[in-house]
Amino acid sequence: MGKFLYFLTYYKKSLLTLLLILIFVWSLFSVQWNADLLHPGGGVTTKQIFQALLAPDLSPEILILALESTWITLVYAVAGMSIAIILAFFFGILASGVLSTSRFNLFAVSGFFRGILGFTRAIHELVWAWLFVAAIGLSPFAAVFALGIPYGGILGKIFADMLNDIPEEPIKALETAGASKLQTLLYGYLPLVRANIISYVMYRFECSVRSSAIMSFVGLGGLGYQIQLSLSDLQYDEVWTFLFFLIALVVLIDAWSNLLRKRMVL
Amino acid sequence: MKKTLSYPKKKRSFTFVTFSVLSVFCLLAASWGYIFIAENASFFGLFTEENYLFAKKFLSSLAGIGDNDPAFTNKESWIHALKLTYETLQMSVMAAGFATVTALLTVIPADRNVADGTLTLSKRWYRWILFWIIRGIYVFSRAIPELVWAMVIVFILKPGILPGALALALHNFGILGKLFAEIIEDIDMKPIRNLASSGASNAQILFYGVIPAVMPKFLTYILYRWEVIMRTSIIVGFVGAGGLGQQFKLSMSFFNYTDITLILICYLILVAIADAISEGFRRAAR
Amino acid sequence: MSESIIKMNNIAKHFERKIALSSLSFIINKGEHIALIGPSGAGKSTLLNILAGITNADSGEYLLDGKSIVNYQKRNIRSRKIGVIRQQFDLIASLPVIQNVLAGKLGEWGFFKSLISLLFPIEKETAARALNQVGLLDKMYEQTSRLSGGEQQRVALARLLVQNPEVILADEPVASLDPARAEDILSLMTELVKDKKQTLIVSLHSVEYAKKYFSRIIALRDGEIFFDLPSEHVTDSLLANLYALKGEAKDG
Ligand SMILES: Nc1ncnc2c1ncn2[C@@H]1O[C@H](COP(=O)(O)OP(=O)(O)OP(=O)(O)O)[C@@H](O)[C@H]1O
Ligand SMILES: [Mg+2]
Repeated sequence: MGKFLYFLTYYKKSLLTLLLILIFVWSLFSVQWNADLLHPGGGVTTKQIFQALLAPDLSPEILILALESTWITLVYAVAGMSIAIILAFFFGILASGVLSTSRFNLFAVSGFFRGILGFTRAIHELVWAWLFVAAIGLSPFAAVFALGIPYGGILGKIFADMLNDIPEEPIKALETAGASKLQTLLYGYLPLVRANIISYVMYRFECSVRSSAIMSFVGLGGLGYQIQLSLSDLQYDEVWTFLFFLIALVVLIDAWSNLLRKRMVL
Repeated sequence: MKKTLSYPKKKRSFTFVTFSVLSVFCLLAASWGYIFIAENASFFGLFTEENYLFAKKFLSSLAGIGDNDPAFTNKESWIHALKLTYETLQMSVMAAGFATVTALLTVIPADRNVADGTLTLSKRWYRWILFWIIRGIYVFSRAIPELVWAMVIVFILKPGILPGALALALHNFGILGKLFAEIIEDIDMKPIRNLASSGASNAQILFYGVIPAVMPKFLTYILYRWEVIMRTSIIVGFVGAGGLGQQFKLSMSFFNYTDITLILICYLILVAIADAISEGFRRAAR
Repeated sequence: MSESIIKMNNIAKHFERKIALSSLSFIINKGEHIALIGPSGAGKSTLLNILAGITNADSGEYLLDGKSIVNYQKRNIRSRKIGVIRQQFDLIASLPVIQNVLAGKLGEWGFFKSLISLLFPIEKETAARALNQVGLLDKMYEQTSRLSGGEQQRVALARLLVQNPEVILADEPVASLDPARAEDILSLMTELVKDKKQTLIVSLHSVEYAKKYFSRIIALRDGEIFFDLPSEHVTDSLLANLYALKGEAKDG
């Protein structure tokens, strides 16, 4: 028995890896592996899609349309992120409990707000979008809120975790200098998490552009809408054009956030 | 009267950070301006009597008010939903597995320290080419959302779990590849150099030097991505790639709102379980 | 003759079963400069934390300026009486130097004033004067993280000058500095507090500095006062016993 326990702890990591591999193998049994998986014309379609990848549609009309849709995608992403940041700021601070004065407050308030943040981010943005469209109709606000709410949950949780990870010495020092809770927030917590939270927001901004692009699937404009239209017309070359615009946007934001991270002083 | 002290003036210079701040403000103004002006969306227009009634009706049908047999009290519906939940779970595991395997197979040439020869202590001219090609593929795969991959794949494969898993895997392959490469680029070089100078081959360096150093971090990222995949698995179902999402779409189009509620409940349970499991694994792996 | 500012009477403190301080009593007069020495774990930090009002004693009486410490619960009232300085991790590294210095004013400022000052520093004059005193005027707008350890400790001093408390407590303020920087900070500190007749209590690991810069030395060992003497009366044999390991001879 003792030997067995020793074996378990010594090979813990290898055993966990093995377990994960077994789970993966189990998942493979859910599929009947035969030719019936493919559509009758699947092979031909694959070839067409790859050919179109090498020859995307670069006609002026499509390029202009792509540019316009890229702009709309960006607009929803930016607007959604601004809502997410506002939500994350207030909910994150409350969820972190850095402003709580008593122990009871800390557990009750921060538990409550962590719960809300957990709920909002558990539901995917596209599901939110669908619910919003069903509730308020096809308005740009449906897209903006659908992005803002789950992203607010994600950002808020990370923000709260970052606030909790701050070393306590500088904060204690501010308190002995006479700072109130709110003042320690301004002069301590916020400056200390600034660099980290900015680079995380930039990373999430990149994700939000992708999310914004797929908002179209519930009927809201943007790149995804065009992709959907072109796909249903079997115009794969147009699909790739739109996808290249999306990739360019993502790469641009990625480059921006990398540069910013390097230049930002801690 | 106090003697005034001449203190330095704040230096104002135009840096990249200032530029970024300005760009952010421009983007914000332009975006909200576009929404309000060009799309002519009125925020307060949302709060009309009509919208209110509409939303109220929607929410009460979600709650099953007025429905004498709501899906979430019906045994059959539960069994069906749980079966779909199980399928969705399998789909997410399969997706995470595919993404991991493909990322692991490609990650070695995609490391800067392999390309420039610091890790293997040998240089080959073609390594940089390979590096850029694979990094390019990573960017390509992760820039395209899962849903778009799914839409393309359902043209090739019949609806079911596999196209969903493949779509999720294709997107996460790029993400995991990039994350893995960054981990390998950050590893401590000292033990590796010791191995290499004691005459170990490239394969030996890989198995005794690199893998033990990076494996725990890889596991953390794989589990973290699996959580995200779990959350996204419902989405790929929307275009017919199986699981809870497919049923969600069907019920939406048949206005079976209590079904939607049931699916959302199952989905939330699944996400919560995924969070708990991956947290447990991470703890255990520490 | 001279007025007392701190009166400690039978102060005791324990953590779980471990006794950190047992029944300490002493009186400190206004304007005194005191070094607190003793081996690791003697209870120096614990005592300073009690003096600062950060931790509460289990039993005993602590009078600050004639009133029990419980009357100083409000942070901005306490901050006018007592200021604390430790190693450089007291500062907010991601703020400019001027903001770290002006943080000494937070006890006097309301929320909105401090918010505005974060964007457009108010009372620049005050900050400049304090920075001038510690010789860092030219670093006013520098990012604090870019300063060296010694410079950061000067910034912390400048913050204390702005806060201007009656008693200054310092827990190993020079522990992470090289000897030259350490002496520099200590002499600066003792000079600056002289002008305003502030009381200074500093814990140190160096007996040499304690004797050089302070007039009175309180030595702690195992949570008790080992000796409390004017610096010139502290002998080498006393010190040898203070720092002796357990089991070594304790005769003088
Ligand atoms: N928060 C705490 N919990 C439990 N025990 C503590 C705590 N703080 C201090 N102690 C104990 O109280 C005793 C006194 O500690 P204190 O930090 O005051 O010593 P010190 O003289 O400052 O030592 P050093 O010179 O190493 O800083 C030590 O034995 C320490 O282990
Ligand atoms: Mg100490």
